[in-house]
Amino acid sequence: MRVKLSVNGSVYEREVEEHFTLLRFLREELGFTGAKEGCGAGECGACTVFLDGKTVNSCMVLAVEADGSEVETIEGQALNGSLSDIQAAFDRHHAVQCGYCTGGMVLSVKELLKRIPKPTVPQIKEGIEGNFCRCTGYQQIIEAVLDVSGQAESAGKGELKHA
Amino acid sequence: MLHKFRYVNPGDRSELLDLLAENGSSAKLLAGGTDLLVNIRGGVQRPQLLIDVKKVKGFQGISWSVTDGLVIRPGVTINELLRDATVRDKFSLLAECAHDLASYQVRNRATVIGNIVNASPCSDMAPGLLCLGARVVISSKRGERELPLAEFFTGVKKTVLASDEILERLVVPAAAVGARGSYRKLKRIQGHDLGIIGVALMKKDGLISLGISSSAPTPVLVTGLHEGDAEEVLVAASRKATSPISDVRCSKEYREFMIGTFVKRLNREVK
Amino acid sequence: MLEHMEPSELKLVGRKALRVEGVGKVTGEAVYVSDMALPGMLHAQVKKSPHARARIIRIDTSKAEALYGVRAVIVGKELNYKLGLYVVDKDILAKDEVRHYGEAVAGVAADTIEIAKAAVDLIEVEYEVLPAVLNHMDALKADAPLVHPNLGKYDYVPVFSPQAGTNIPNLSKLRKGDVEKGFAESEWIVEREYTNPSVQHVPMETHVAIVEWKTGDEVNIWSSAQSPFTVRNLFCYTFKLPLNKVRVVVPNVGGGFGGKAGIHLEPLLACLSRKAGGKPVKMRATREEEFCLLPCRSALTYRIKTGVGAAGKILAQSLTLYWDAGAYADYAVNVTRASSYSAAGPYDVPNVKLDAYTIYTNKPYGTAYRGFGHVEFFWGLERHMELIAQVIGMDPLEFRMLNLLKPGSITITGERISDHSGDPAKCLEAAAKAINYGKLTPQEKAREERTGRKIGKGLATLHKAPAMPSFTATAAVVKMNTDGTVIVNIALTEIGQGSATAMAQIAAERLRFPLDRVKVTIEKDTDKEPYDWQTVASKGIILSGNATIMACDDLLKQAYETAAQVLRAQAVDLDHDAQGIFVKHRRDRVISFPQLSVGYAFPDGNAIGGPLIGVGRYIAQGLSNLDKETGQGLPALDWTFGAHGVIAEVDCETGEYKVLKVASAFDVGKVINPDIVRGQAIGGMIQGLGTAICEGYIYDEKGHLLNPSFTDNKIPTAQDLPEEIETIAVETAQLDGPFGARGVGEHPMISVAPALGNAIQKATGAELLHMPIRFEDVWRAVNAKEPIDNWITKTPTGSCRSDPATRHSSPDSAALP
Repeated sequence: MRVKLSVNGSVYEREVEEHFTLLRFLREELGFTGAKEGCGAGECGACTVFLDGKTVNSCMVLAVEADGSEVETIEGQALNGSLSDIQAAFDRHHAVQCGYCTGGMVLSVKELLKRIPKPTVPQIKEGIEGNFCRCTGYQQIIEAVLDVSGQAESAGKGELKHA
Repeated sequence: MLHKFRYVNPGDRSELLDLLAENGSSAKLLAGGTDLLVNIRGGVQRPQLLIDVKKVKGFQGISWSVTDGLVIRPGVTINELLRDATVRDKFSLLAECAHDLASYQVRNRATVIGNIVNASPCSDMAPGLLCLGARVVISSKRGERELPLAEFFTGVKKTVLASDEILERLVVPAAAVGARGSYRKLKRIQGHDLGIIGVALMKKDGLISLGISSSAPTPVLVTGLHEGDAEEVLVAASRKATSPISDVRCSKEYREFMIGTFVKRLNREVK
Repeated sequence: MLEHMEPSELKLVGRKALRVEGVGKVTGEAVYVSDMALPGMLHAQVKKSPHARARIIRIDTSKAEALYGVRAVIVGKELNYKLGLYVVDKDILAKDEVRHYGEAVAGVAADTIEIAKAAVDLIEVEYEVLPAVLNHMDALKADAPLVHPNLGKYDYVPVFSPQAGTNIPNLSKLRKGDVEKGFAESEWIVEREYTNPSVQHVPMETHVAIVEWKTGDEVNIWSSAQSPFTVRNLFCYTFKLPLNKVRVVVPNVGGGFGGKAGIHLEPLLACLSRKAGGKPVKMRATREEEFCLLPCRSALTYRIKTGVGAAGKILAQSLTLYWDAGAYADYAVNVTRASSYSAAGPYDVPNVKLDAYTIYTNKPYGTAYRGFGHVEFFWGLERHMELIAQVIGMDPLEFRMLNLLKPGSITITGERISDHSGDPAKCLEAAAKAINYGKLTPQEKAREERTGRKIGKGLATLHKAPAMPSFTATAAVVKMNTDGTVIVNIALTEIGQGSATAMAQIAAERLRFPLDRVKVTIEKDTDKEPYDWQTVASKGIILSGNATIMACDDLLKQAYETAAQVLRAQAVDLDHDAQGIFVKHRRDRVISFPQLSVGYAFPDGNAIGGPLIGVGRYIAQGLSNLDKETGQGLPALDWTFGAHGVIAEVDCETGEYKVLKVASAFDVGKVINPDIVRGQAIGGMIQGLGTAICEGYIYDEKGHLLNPSFTDNKIPTAQDLPEEIETIAVETAQLDGPFGARGVGEHPMISVAPALGNAIQKATGAELLHMPIRFEDVWRAVNAKEPIDNWITKTPTGSCRSDPATRHSSPDSAALP
């Protein structure tokens, strides 16, 4: 089936097989490999992208369903070589270890901050609940979100202490 | 996903009903896809045709009127339901159920009607909708029929839907406004998880209803209880209506105990 | 090494620094093997066994081979190779018999993944299902089926002791003092059995590799692997190829946790590539395959019998560990060996008898997993310490403090603990203080009133040394570019642990350069990087850190030699800063690093020196093999000690609980990067909570794995964090560590579970002996109901508790001898 959609503001038109997920289409046909497959079953969130302004697990969306849609991926976040505020906060707070979940996590945070500009810690936890991270234990991610949402004083508590 | 299929996205209702009538059991309706695509990936379902209902004219949105009640259409996602002011104000029990369903991304995609037609014993939406006396409007080329949600489920992942039918509207009657209720779900972790059990309890006009999931082949509705009934009466009624099993998530014994405990606690909490 | 530098002298070590590869990861630009595609690449799929144990009667691949687009089909009997890390017991594809559910019996490479999958579905396999041995305690019985009847004929590394004619691929023993005498002198004897099931590592990137076997046996491997040199080494051993024919490349790795330490998909893909005419072949495991085709962490049954003297001193311990290897020995034999010198914990015990068995069963096989056995046996050990304290009427903290190792103590293998070995007591004190151990604060009391739940506080200690050969070695190469920037080549892979950043800080500190002039390679390539044994065991910081310091010193020495000639000075009179080398007493006589970087040219054209390339080589010092009968010897490069304190809130009626706080302290010797240490500490702690709360393999009675996905194998989400987390570093310098540092990659995961179990017991009295601690387990323990270690009623399968009839004595024996 012929599909036309925009990814990070650029239009792409391709012939795609009906059973291709949006994730596979983005990765294998268009080269947006920042979205990752962690489970293929909508559980882990590594494949999170924006579809018409809402985060979705792109492993659970067919490419043909995205015909005519606007897609936004992690590759569209840094502009002119500068990290977005969320990306910079992730970098600053060591909210990244192996990096495999990071793209999806950054996009879930972006959606959260669109809805709730100054989220509480429980709101942050709920906002990123659908994004598994096996490395960081989430805490430094939460601190990055507090920081980027102007709550650096709460984020600052997270320091290594010395006995 | 390695299983191949065809895909159509009809724009109007009659086209959809034609497609259903023509393709019948070899087709599956696609809304949010959060159950269907998982099943196709896992080889549990192998449809030849997916009929996307999201673009069908008139299949979007939630409406509310005193005459028609709360009407939920096939394109309505869980998060749309959660954002709806009427739902939040008048049917907080539904919002509670919806809030406990999966993760935010999944709720952006999963639909309310999808959660019902999937007919999983562990449906999160069913307990609340059952308590509220929801009705289902089923359409096909042959016509339309309406029945109580309580009569919709027939077994594990089985419903009364024939292969040419679609659940077109989920209706919560206006009479349910004013009900007080709450939903409680036992999970293995604090994060998103399928329910080990789920219990909704609703009080209205001196009556108590229970909607219970993950404790029988289908979500079950328990009625005929009264405010002021002893806790033991409520627990006994819930036990009579359910038949939990032991599985990888927990034992039958613990399920039975937790259903009773949740019923008692909800009865105390719902004022 | 350099352990006495004052913090004020250090510009980079011990200070915050951004991750060197952070930007590529937050932008999605970082490349993982799962993202890669090569021209002409084929896609592989495998046919997997639906049975735990079965004889392969017939495999018919004709229909698969006839399918258009299929380029190679392989079955086990055409592959005459054996694989194995320590005991060479595994075929690339099952041959005559399948030994676990999910084991690969055939492989296909095809033009598309759809064709490969269709071909696999067309392969017909006829099995004769055989009785499987699923419970590892049953596997020890005399009449148990043998998982490997040929165990006595397999090659193995001689530090292990396979028992021919049994299901035991290794038995490690330790004897210290006279354990019977110790028990005889004891006032109390406490004996219990502790258990835990197998679990999955769950790296977010599943196992994936691309392999091409080209003409002339040139093999290129791209793999999501922790240890490129180990992949190369084991690959060449199996295929009898020279090491210079095989190149292993590892780009970014989406998590490892031990599961990618060995060799996995690479040999099969290599055979498929060779059969398909040398085209590259890729396979990425599905999440479901990650659970049963690829290895897991071993289950353990741990029996502990402890004798305690009147004053509360531990006098004797009889320790028996039954490790469930699953179908292949892989790392489980070495986990067993590591447990044989560590399973008494950081305690001073005069008399010890320890037997650690590795046991084959017909289940997916166990491999290395963060903590390398310590997560599992510390569950039992630190629950046991709690129960002993309860029996003898002493506070658990006081009891632990009384028995901890201290300078002068002799470990169970005969090593003398020194002032520099690290301080377990300081860690335990810090963790206890951080949770206000031993009492409830007014706020906590108010919370109990408000919620109706009980709050309990628990502690647990931990220790771990790298489990590695006594001769473990590594190297670093530091190369200067013509602008004075440097490249550090090491083969320690960056799997998320932050070692690339730590090495950059160490190199920049030693060179006195700003951090941005140092690049540590992220992509590892066995043709380009100098040797490293493996990226495992928390050994990276000491070995690669020291090698990096030595490589920097070597580079500086070369630079000084050239500079001395240019500046016409003695090398001893020279010094340097970030810009260049100068004469100490004539600061105006200076030559810049760019001028020296690839050799210096005098104004007349004459040149001296050459490219500045420093080499550092480091090998573990002073370790010795363990005596096979007594376990005595020096196995530990370093001990990292630590402790956790947990505050938990429990609903005593339902068993539901919530973790309110975890405070962790580790003696890291020297913090290289505080944010990375904290990231390891919290990440490991949450992974430890996963093991403690919810993770574990569940089988049915035929050995089918029932929960091979995130649907029924939950891992912690952000919602599962404790309300409060505190991480504390203790710094007792390690004399042979870089700037005094020692490893802390695995340790945060160890002993989280027993600290939680101890907190829950404090709140409820529940005597928990099995982890994970599910709500139902707490409910059962509180209500004195028979515990279940499997949710499938009437099925012992997946059970790791022993049959009561086989127990040496009642687990309730807490009586006078």
